[in-house]
Amino acid sequence: MKQIIFALILISAVVFNFVSCKKKDGNVSTYNATNWGFKIPANFPLPNYTFENNAQTIDRFGLGRLLFYDNILSLNNKISCSSCHAPDHAFSDHNVALSAGIGGVLGTRNAPSLSNLAWYPAFMWDGGVNHIEVQPMVPLTSPTEMNETMANILAKLNANTNYKNLFKKAYDVDVITDQVLLQALAQFTSMLISADSKYDQYIAGTASFTDAEKTGLDIFRNKCAGCHTEPLFTNFSYENIGLDMVSVDLGRQLITQNPLDRGKFRVPSLRNVAKTYPYMHDGRFFTLSQVLDHHINGALNNGITDSTLLQLTPLTSAEKLDIIQFLNTLTDIQFMVDPSLADPTH
Amino acid sequence: MKKNQITFVLFLGLMVSQLTSCKKKTPTPAVVETGTVTINLNHKWGTANGSDFKLDTTLVQPDTGDSLNFTTLEYYVSNFKLKKSDGTWWVHPDSYFLVDLSNPGSLSLNLTNVPLGTYTDVNFTMGVDSLHNVSGAQGGALSTTNLMFWSWNSGYIMLKVEGISNNSQTGSFAFHLGGFSGADNIVTDKQISFSGSSLSVSSNHTSKVFLQVNPDWLWHSAPSVSVLNSIHVPGSDAKTMALGFFANNSITFDHIVE
Repeated sequence: MKQIIFALILISAVVFNFVSCKKKDGNVSTYNATNWGFKIPANFPLPNYTFENNAQTIDRFGLGRLLFYDNILSLNNKISCSSCHAPDHAFSDHNVALSAGIGGVLGTRNAPSLSNLAWYPAFMWDGGVNHIEVQPMVPLTSPTEMNETMANILAKLNANTNYKNLFKKAYDVDVITDQVLLQALAQFTSMLISADSKYDQYIAGTASFTDAEKTGLDIFRNKCAGCHTEPLFTNFSYENIGLDMVSVDLGRQLITQNPLDRGKFRVPSLRNVAKTYPYMHDGRFFTLSQVLDHHINGALNNGITDSTLLQLTPLTSAEKLDIIQFLNTLTDIQFMVDPSLADPTH
Repeated sequence: MKKNQITFVLFLGLMVSQLTSCKKKTPTPAVVETGTVTINLNHKWGTANGSDFKLDTTLVQPDTGDSLNFTTLEYYVSNFKLKKSDGTWWVHPDSYFLVDLSNPGSLSLNLTNVPLGTYTDVNFTMGVDSLHNVSGAQGGALSTTNLMFWSWNSGYIMLKVEGISNNSQTGSFAFHLGGFSGADNIVTDKQISFSGSSLSVSSNHTSKVFLQVNPDWLWHSAPSVSVLNSIHVPGSDAKTMALGFFANNSITFDHIVE
């Protein structure tokens, strides 16, 4: 009997020998035991971001999460990414049209909801940023947002023992660089995945729609889905939707230099749209009803206005209500209360 | 009992082997002897054998007649390759350099681990290849802390020229030139022959290639700073000015020191 036990221990030691040499990081599957990691929702296409040169690990994600909620990234150490991208608002601002940067300075565009960013081909309302990893440079350095310099952020982080240790553990670096800072933030922002709304459950066959929601979805697919394409509810194009005869904000023209792109902005995703008011690039509309009125009957023809929008046939007030009922099904409460995405220091 | 003792010893042995077996087994590399090549950039102004280009000095641009006092001249060079005498190319890996006229050390580009042999040409890219403009956060010379990256319109400022000029209506000029795709692309391949000389790379030795760089080529096709004193976006103006410097005979072979 004793021999058998020893033999078993012996075998287990041999097995341990083999198993223990496997690489311990850089692979999402390592964390399958806890069901954590980047997963493509069943009804989603392949993502744009593939963690190339920034393999997903739980240490890196945790570090990015801590940074996202840390005021250390702003010039006066008083605001963080989450100040204008709050989880309970689906990572948009607290229902304000324009966000206050340090010292209360207002920006010029509405802080968008952050979700499903790994699927985005470009970032910002004008699409000027071409990669999820370099996106944070805009809010970090903008004078109307966090107003910092990359050099000063790195000086603060490198003087912080906790961050030094966390970056060492996550990226095996002795000095924190902008590269690993930006990569760590992307580890977190790419995990802001909203795909568990009632709509998603309806598509998966695990929830049913009311008649009004079904009718709303039908009308939506008929009139809106050309630009607000399922399942991300945007086709990532840039459109002028006739908000003004002459757009003060040049929008996409700032990036392309093309006057025909004046006042064009990225078609926003409608995920969690009921929770992310106010709407439009400048937050001018506070209700979905106002937005629908503008889209269906209110767009000005400024010569650049999207022609499809101008040709939309009017809605009855019942149809309008049905669309709003449907849009409410895009609210993903689980996304907003997900403890793994919440402030780790609270 | 003896059996048990033997088994136990075996078990201990295995545990010890477990402790040591995870050490990285670095294979003893076959000794490949290499040398170092430095590419030394001497900045000149004006036509061949012109005067030295210096910051904070008034220089007259021969084509436009502008008096220019440069405070900044920075540009990227990348992707160095050396042509062997047998016609094949050796590619220097991860090859990105920021040349900054205010930093003398940056004017000598170090190519390490160059295989021994004789070389006849050098090839490199003026600017940063498009791939590295679209691949997220970068390190080394491409770090954003060099302030050569546009945050709001992603891409590298591949050439930054700033200074003071009485010919400019504002008294100054600032040209931040970039653009890596389509019609806006300024990234330019450059090949420079050692003009019949050859560069021999020998073991544990640094061989030096000296090139002359003439920034006055910036105004080869671009107008006087009285007409255009600022560029901050990719586009036709940026392209005209950048290619004047990147694409013409602005960089020439000077000599080799072995």
